[in-house]
Amino acid sequence: MLDPVLNSPFFGLTLTAAAWCFGCWVQNKTRFLLCNPLLIAVALVIAVLSVFRIPYETYSIGGDFIKLMLGPVTAVLALNIYNQRDILKEHFLPVLAGCLVGSLTSVGSILALCKLFHVDEALTASLMPKSVTTAIAMGIAESHGGVAGISAAAVMVAGITGAVFAPIFAKLFHITEPVAEGLAIGACSHALGTTRALEIGKIQGAMSSIAICVCGILTSLLALFL
Amino acid sequence: MNIMAEFVVIFGVCLVSEGIAALLPVAFPASVIALLLLGLLLFTRIIKPEHIQRVSGFLVANMAFFFLPSCVGVMEHAPAVLRQLAPFLLISFLTTPLVYLVTGWTVQWLIRRSKGKGAGKDA
Repeated sequence: MLDPVLNSPFFGLTLTAAAWCFGCWVQNKTRFLLCNPLLIAVALVIAVLSVFRIPYETYSIGGDFIKLMLGPVTAVLALNIYNQRDILKEHFLPVLAGCLVGSLTSVGSILALCKLFHVDEALTASLMPKSVTTAIAMGIAESHGGVAGISAAAVMVAGITGAVFAPIFAKLFHITEPVAEGLAIGACSHALGTTRALEIGKIQGAMSSIAICVCGILTSLLALFL
Repeated sequence: MNIMAEFVVIFGVCLVSEGIAALLPVAFPASVIALLLLGLLLFTRIIKPEHIQRVSGFLVANMAFFFLPSCVGVMEHAPAVLRQLAPFLLISFLTTPLVYLVTGWTVQWLIRRSKGKGAGKDA
């Protein structure tokens, strides 16, 4: 009786939606950065699957429907760039130069460290796009033989690091120009960092959110040369 | 615009991008092609923001939800990740301030240089 239920796509869909709602509820209650809704929801789904010994394949019958939407989710980021075209035009050179140098540093330093620590190829490909926003990072990882979920985890570590330490980085590295600060936050910690950048200031927030898309595109182009 | 028509635009862009990705001789994510294609359509005003506003708003507001199944997929790779957990965490953590530093200094240097030029002799 249970098999037809578990093998229905609605099992994966219901579990995913329920876990997400729970994650959002915990975030709302605690307002604590580490209680990220995604982090909590993932832990909950994995716990349910492990406790009831349900294989991942069974979950993904429904989960794949949600995964399918990653394409559209990434595509509509274009609207973010379009809506900020005025501020982008105004700071075109700093945005392009900053994001290019940032993406190069990120990809270069990750590859060098992966070599140093003898990290295997699949993990290297998953780590490589970790400074960009999750949707784009997953696409880059998968097209280079990485695992999308591992990228998402690395992206989250980078995002939380940036969101927590951004003000300390600015002091430590003597970054006082708001435009430079915003771009630096966006380049190293994407959307999670941007939430913090918005608290620091309006220019910082805007620049950080532009850097998300620009770094994402530049990193996917850089990855072509590897 | 009708919400289903919005889906036609967004799904259509993704569909065409899958085709382009298959034609490319290199591995390039179809989703990023879709982002570039939609950006191009917006900047050339072939598509207006109003044409995709409601669906985009929904997708962006709930973005992380769509990452969930892929993240759960990590359990399939748990042994490999756990074996390399230390380098994984170290690399993810350490490269973040490095990217901040390089990006921040580059942009700050560029801004100060152009300000200097603007100020003429005072620079």
